[in-house]
Amino acid sequence: MNLWQGAVLMSVYFPHKKLPYLLVLPQLVITLIFFLWPAEQAFEQAFYQEDAFGLSREFVGFDNFVYLFNDPQYYKSIWVTLVFSFSVAFSGLAIALWLAVMADRVIRGKLTYQTLLVWPYAVAPALAGVLWWLLFDPSMGPIALWLQYFGVDWNHFLNGDQAMTLVVISATWKQISYNFLFFLAGLQAVPRSLIEAASIDGASPFKRFWTIVFPLLSPTTFFLLVINLVYAFFDTFGVIDATTQGGPGVSTATMVYKVFNDGFIGLDMGSSAAQSVVLMFLVGVMTVIQFRYIERKVEY
Amino acid sequence: MIENRPWLTFVSHFSLLLGIGVVALPVWVALVASTHPSSAFGAGEIPLWFGDQALENWRSVFLGEASSGVDVPVWYMMLNSFIMALGITVGKLFISLLSAYAIVFFRFPFRGACFWVIFITLMLPVEVRIVPTYEVVANLDMLNSYSGLILPLIASATATFLFRQCFMTMPGELIEAARIDGAGPIRFFFDILLPMSRTNIAALFVIMFIYGWNQYLWPVIITTDDAYYTLVMSIKRMLAVDQGDIEWNHVMVTTLLAMIPPVAVVIGMQKLFVKGLVDAEK
Amino acid sequence: MSDVVLNNIGKTYPNGYHAIPSIDLTIEEGEFIVLVGPSGCGKSTLLRMVAGLETISQGDLMIKGAKVNDKEPADRDIAMVFQNYALYPHMTVYANMAYGLKNRGESKEVIAEKVTSVANMLGLEELLERKPKQLSGGQRQRVAMGRAMVRDPKVFLFDEPLSNLDAKLRVQMRVEIRQLQRKLGTTTLYVTHDQVEAMTLADRLVVLNKGKAEQIGSPMALYNKPATPFVAAFIGSPSMNLLPANLDEQGICLSDRLSLPLVHDHRGSIIWGIRPEHLEVVDEANADFALRIQAVESLGAETLIHGTVDLGVKQEPMVVRLAGPHWPEINSLLWLKAPLDHWHVFDAVTQQRL
Repeated sequence: MNLWQGAVLMSVYFPHKKLPYLLVLPQLVITLIFFLWPAEQAFEQAFYQEDAFGLSREFVGFDNFVYLFNDPQYYKSIWVTLVFSFSVAFSGLAIALWLAVMADRVIRGKLTYQTLLVWPYAVAPALAGVLWWLLFDPSMGPIALWLQYFGVDWNHFLNGDQAMTLVVISATWKQISYNFLFFLAGLQAVPRSLIEAASIDGASPFKRFWTIVFPLLSPTTFFLLVINLVYAFFDTFGVIDATTQGGPGVSTATMVYKVFNDGFIGLDMGSSAAQSVVLMFLVGVMTVIQFRYIERKVEY
Repeated sequence: MIENRPWLTFVSHFSLLLGIGVVALPVWVALVASTHPSSAFGAGEIPLWFGDQALENWRSVFLGEASSGVDVPVWYMMLNSFIMALGITVGKLFISLLSAYAIVFFRFPFRGACFWVIFITLMLPVEVRIVPTYEVVANLDMLNSYSGLILPLIASATATFLFRQCFMTMPGELIEAARIDGAGPIRFFFDILLPMSRTNIAALFVIMFIYGWNQYLWPVIITTDDAYYTLVMSIKRMLAVDQGDIEWNHVMVTTLLAMIPPVAVVIGMQKLFVKGLVDAEK
Repeated sequence: MSDVVLNNIGKTYPNGYHAIPSIDLTIEEGEFIVLVGPSGCGKSTLLRMVAGLETISQGDLMIKGAKVNDKEPADRDIAMVFQNYALYPHMTVYANMAYGLKNRGESKEVIAEKVTSVANMLGLEELLERKPKQLSGGQRQRVAMGRAMVRDPKVFLFDEPLSNLDAKLRVQMRVEIRQLQRKLGTTTLYVTHDQVEAMTLADRLVVLNKGKAEQIGSPMALYNKPATPFVAAFIGSPSMNLLPANLDEQGICLSDRLSLPLVHDHRGSIIWGIRPEHLEVVDEANADFALRIQAVESLGAETLIHGTVDLGVKQEPMVVRLAGPHWPEINSLLWLKAPLDHWHVFDAVTQQRL
């Protein structure tokens, strides 16, 4: 059940010498060319300074990293990433949990509700961004106009907080379906006898939820929290790029967006590579947390 | 639930309907917007009921007579999207079935090393290593090509990981029975393993197809030739004009068209989709 | 000609663990051999070595005179029935039975003929188009046997084939397996941990303990003359009463207050055994010792009486098996006689029968 089990032997296997190499070859080749080589280049480039035309470069040691960690813009992007990720994770989890609890309660039409709630998973993040942009477009979006009617001066092209709100809403909208499915599965796995025992003990539905169901759901919740953070970190590039492009200013430029922006728009390859290395390190940490969690889950 | 509490049942249904409404709201507005002439959007607000330009907008976008910023018709980009999505899906399934088979059913020197090289890719989404990957693909002269769109996205270990889990749960006695029945590794793969894993393969196919279809950043970066634009990324090009010049009706038609195939897959194959999703994160 | 010969066969795992030190066994054609022992005794390993699913670390394995140590399982002309049946879940019963023949390149007609005739023999005609999951446990068991039979192998290998069935079906299948084997006359190697199964099926039994063959012989030979206390305890139910004792001039000295007269020139510590069914209830005057009754299990046809024998320094548990119903009182004394010709005496050091 977990990654670290790689060394565990299955007792039964085929006694062939060459065939297995042939079988792993395609994946190894793809991985070497499109993963290890770029990763190696990122590491290498992180220690070089390249001119804007890519004509020459010089070794600068840890300068790129030093520069990065002295750059207030980078801290700003870390802050943006944190605000964005935790907002997406918490609002997505809260809404999905509520809907899942409600769906778990209903007897008729459960599958229909599920169908009508899960489809946004299939919508590309960029498209989700465009859909919500239309609703919040300051000059013609129905929600923006409605907010303006109530005195909120909505313009996400000028107001950084509003831009953040928009991307959070778009990203959350897409992720609710995912969380909903997992919460629903988690709720259905809660043994009925426990709920029945609690109701015989006189616990109200509300109390039952907080004292029995929610604690039993905590592995699912924690797992989803990690998954949602990873999602917000990496998979939401499309949302941001299609709607705000990191703006206004840098108020929605997450760390991943900044790697892209500094590399392809700013052409600062050294800094972009250094940021890639930092991100790889971060993903590594998150992966370990994720697998540690899975390891624990197996023991349950 | 245990007790019969009508008001709680009412709250449940009400919450769910509200949730469905909110989730569907942007698509509703997009649908409405796609039926109006572009002049309707300059007027200061989006009409909230259907207009009369539906057929015309959808036809012109689909056949490409009037998309701004992109020189190829939507049907052509749709084709590209299909090629990319299927290429990624089939490619991933192919290489990961083989490598998972090798890792689970064979013992060979450097097996552990192969395992780690493959599984380390679990950790890094393409977004993180985007710049160097671009350079590698440029070096290989694969910009603006289907192989450039597809191959780098195949380098992910999720599917391998999954098939490995699935294979490891297979009872060892089945392999022994097959060996006694005279099936070698290749026969075993085709006669026993593939048929027994077909639900897993199908479930993964659904998830991978959605993943492939929805790729955005990578196609944006490596395609400069309109002939290789995919539907999802073309939105960026359509929006990359002056604020006032965005043809919202056409953008919305394109957006909806880009959503339809993966959403149809999710709804049509809900069971497989849910299984794939849950398995993928186990 | 002997059919299967195990010559100094041994198994050592790569981590250095000696699963099986050395075993010699010659199996005659058509013989039904049962490998029996507690779990972890190496009986399944031995069977899998014969099947070719485990490598043989030492010795020679001959089938019909040919050395097959390095042959693939499929080339050894054996067929195996697995504990969990190992039916291919995605194939029909027919396809399951045909698979081995197909891989051998038999023609469709030959396959159809063989599968049909075996299906008729096993009463599977109606089930040929079903998938394994649509079958009951007993039917799956039959299909697994059918799959082994269609190949018409030189040797049948059974790995605890009945342990997943309920008690009633197990008895029924046991009889059926014995009848089929007689009818087909195929040499059979059968692994089980159940001594009743072992006793009823075997022409000869191999009792394994920690990878060593404790004793090889017919069921009755093992019952009447167990070679070691291990075999003595393993064969027979309830198992033999075994008590530590000393052998000296007076005979068998169970404690300073209880000894049984025996003339034997062995001296030193021994293990003395008597089967529960061989103890006789007698009056106090003729008794060898008394049993303090602790529990009575009445089974109708027989009664098992559990109690302890007071040896002064300690209480030794003992079981008595009496025919018919009996209602002795708990805590009362039961006077017992152990007839001399039913004694089993083992050297406590070498564990060998004296």
